[in-house]
Amino acid sequence: MSGLKQRRRWLDLTHRGNVRFALLAGPGAVFILIALLFPLLSIVVFSFWRTESYELYADWNLNNYRLLLGEPAYRIFFSRSLITAALVSVGCLLLAWPAAYFIAKHGGRYRLLLVLLLAAPFFTGVILRITGLQGLFGPIGVINMGLGILGMNPVEALMYTPFAAGIGLVYLYVPFIVTAIYLSLVNFNFELLEVAKINGARPWRAFIEITWPLNWIGTVIGLVLVFIPCLASAVTQRFLGGTQATSFGMSLSLQFGETGTWALGSAMGVFLFVSSLLAILAAGRSIDLKRGGFTGRLQE
Amino acid sequence: MPDPVLKLQAIVKRFGNVTAVDRVDLAIERGEFFALLGPSGSGKTTLLRIIAGLERPDEGRVEIGGREVTRLPPYARHIGMVFQNFLLFPHKTAAENIVFPLRMQRLSRADRDQRLAWAMRLMRLEGLEGRYPNELSGGQQQRVALARGLISRPALLLLDEPLANLDRELRSEMEVEIRRYQKELEIPFVYVTHNQEEALTMSDRIAVMRNGQFEQVGAKTEIYTSPATAFVAGFVGHANRFEARLVELAGDCARIEWKGNSMLVPRPRDADPGAPIQFSIKYEDLEVARAVNGFDPARRNWLSGRLRDVIFKGQTANYIVVLEDGSDIVVSGAPHGLDLRPSDAVVVHWPVTRGACFRI
Repeated sequence: MSGLKQRRRWLDLTHRGNVRFALLAGPGAVFILIALLFPLLSIVVFSFWRTESYELYADWNLNNYRLLLGEPAYRIFFSRSLITAALVSVGCLLLAWPAAYFIAKHGGRYRLLLVLLLAAPFFTGVILRITGLQGLFGPIGVINMGLGILGMNPVEALMYTPFAAGIGLVYLYVPFIVTAIYLSLVNFNFELLEVAKINGARPWRAFIEITWPLNWIGTVIGLVLVFIPCLASAVTQRFLGGTQATSFGMSLSLQFGETGTWALGSAMGVFLFVSSLLAILAAGRSIDLKRGGFTGRLQE
Repeated sequence: MPDPVLKLQAIVKRFGNVTAVDRVDLAIERGEFFALLGPSGSGKTTLLRIIAGLERPDEGRVEIGGREVTRLPPYARHIGMVFQNFLLFPHKTAAENIVFPLRMQRLSRADRDQRLAWAMRLMRLEGLEGRYPNELSGGQQQRVALARGLISRPALLLLDEPLANLDRELRSEMEVEIRRYQKELEIPFVYVTHNQEEALTMSDRIAVMRNGQFEQVGAKTEIYTSPATAFVAGFVGHANRFEARLVELAGDCARIEWKGNSMLVPRPRDADPGAPIQFSIKYEDLEVARAVNGFDPARRNWLSGRLRDVIFKGQTANYIVVLEDGSDIVVSGAPHGLDLRPSDAVVVHWPVTRGACFRI
């Protein structure tokens, strides 16, 4: 029965309407195939090869992975990146929710403008933005200089520390999560909060019972948009983090640059890719569409 | 008179330059089904939201169960509310929606389950506990909303056009059901509607609202049979309206002149001879007959015309009569028994005590 069905579906592909659909979907699919899948595949392949004096040799082995999992330095880099990404995500969440809520609820006719303004940092490049933060946090930055003028000691925690790098990451990625939560909230029916209050819920209770679960999908998307790039990030740590902030991403980029150990770098890339995939799967598992208030038709 | 469950004193609410509610007083007693009837924009929903605590009045005082609640938030008022668009929580099942108020009151699980079973039985929702709102029909959703509003046995249930989104057949079924719940539970209902039939079918007392004020508050039969203003007369029931001139007052009656016809009508409350007045008479207060003679002009009025059409409505029919001057008048009566055909000459007649007369 099911075999027959599959066969039919396969035959349907040759149907005229499906040909037209294939023509429409084709270019995008081919682009994704070339731009994403081929590099990914080549990385997977390279990760089982060997590099010697900046040359790749195709003799298959597991040494790269053995090194990656065995060498304590890489474990430290990775767990550092993981903790950073988690803390930055939480920080972004705490900053983003009130901002998004305020814009959605009280932004009035300016709310579209306010959300577009979130993109303002992107008017300049990422390096420029981080350098800007350096100018704020550094030893001769605005904050510490200002403190010096007032006769106070500079805040050491801000000068080339993992904490400073964390602040930089929050600053870089908070617009994404605000946008995701905002887009969720504009589709949220705030009247439901009135219903909750009439039925005896105090404002916080109403938030926990109604607002939070009904905007969880948007929140998860926002968290993923922060967590995944943070897990891989290199540049921010390099500019703001000092010596104690070397991240997995930094180490990875070194393999492709200075040290020229492409095979190991590829293995790190695969490891990062799989970690990100697991994070996304975990995020996806936390979503129960019905419990998220999804009212469309679910496929049986 | 026992203490009213709800007492409003001189409530005023302004939105910018618009006064949505303008010095409204009201007392509703235990077990009463009270309808707030008015056209859209008359302020009835605003008044309901003030009672709920969703809006704060600019002036005046709200008391529920003898306690002043004017400045209390909705969650401290112990009321229930049912909305036009149901507003069920989409991420909670029917049962979870219904027990929500009990959970907020921190009732024990056993009590919750017991009350839930009671509410499901009352609303005939058994078996639908696990369904999500989008898996329920409109009527079922409305019953879940009602169950949620009633389960905590609130001091007062507010209903904001709860049947407006249902189709006609379901609506008349729910009208009867809602009245049944109200009578069984003895919780006072405040029911906002713009639909006069709903208000007349379900309520005990009606307030007709217009421009933020009560035009008339009274038992529904009183509102229907003796409207206090021309607006009420036009808004409640179906009436013919004549713009006429008052000729003279004679005891309980007044003589008016309308397009060359002289008629005796109930005396208007405050009008002097010569004043322009409006006479309104409900369709069913008129009778139609073939041209006949022998009416006593001191007891009955009559106008002659020609039958244009008969609109069959089932239990009744509307007879549309074109008078000699070309204007239409509608008479409602039994659909059969009268062997009348369009373009027959007819007489429309009625006792002089019927209808109501207002100064305009």
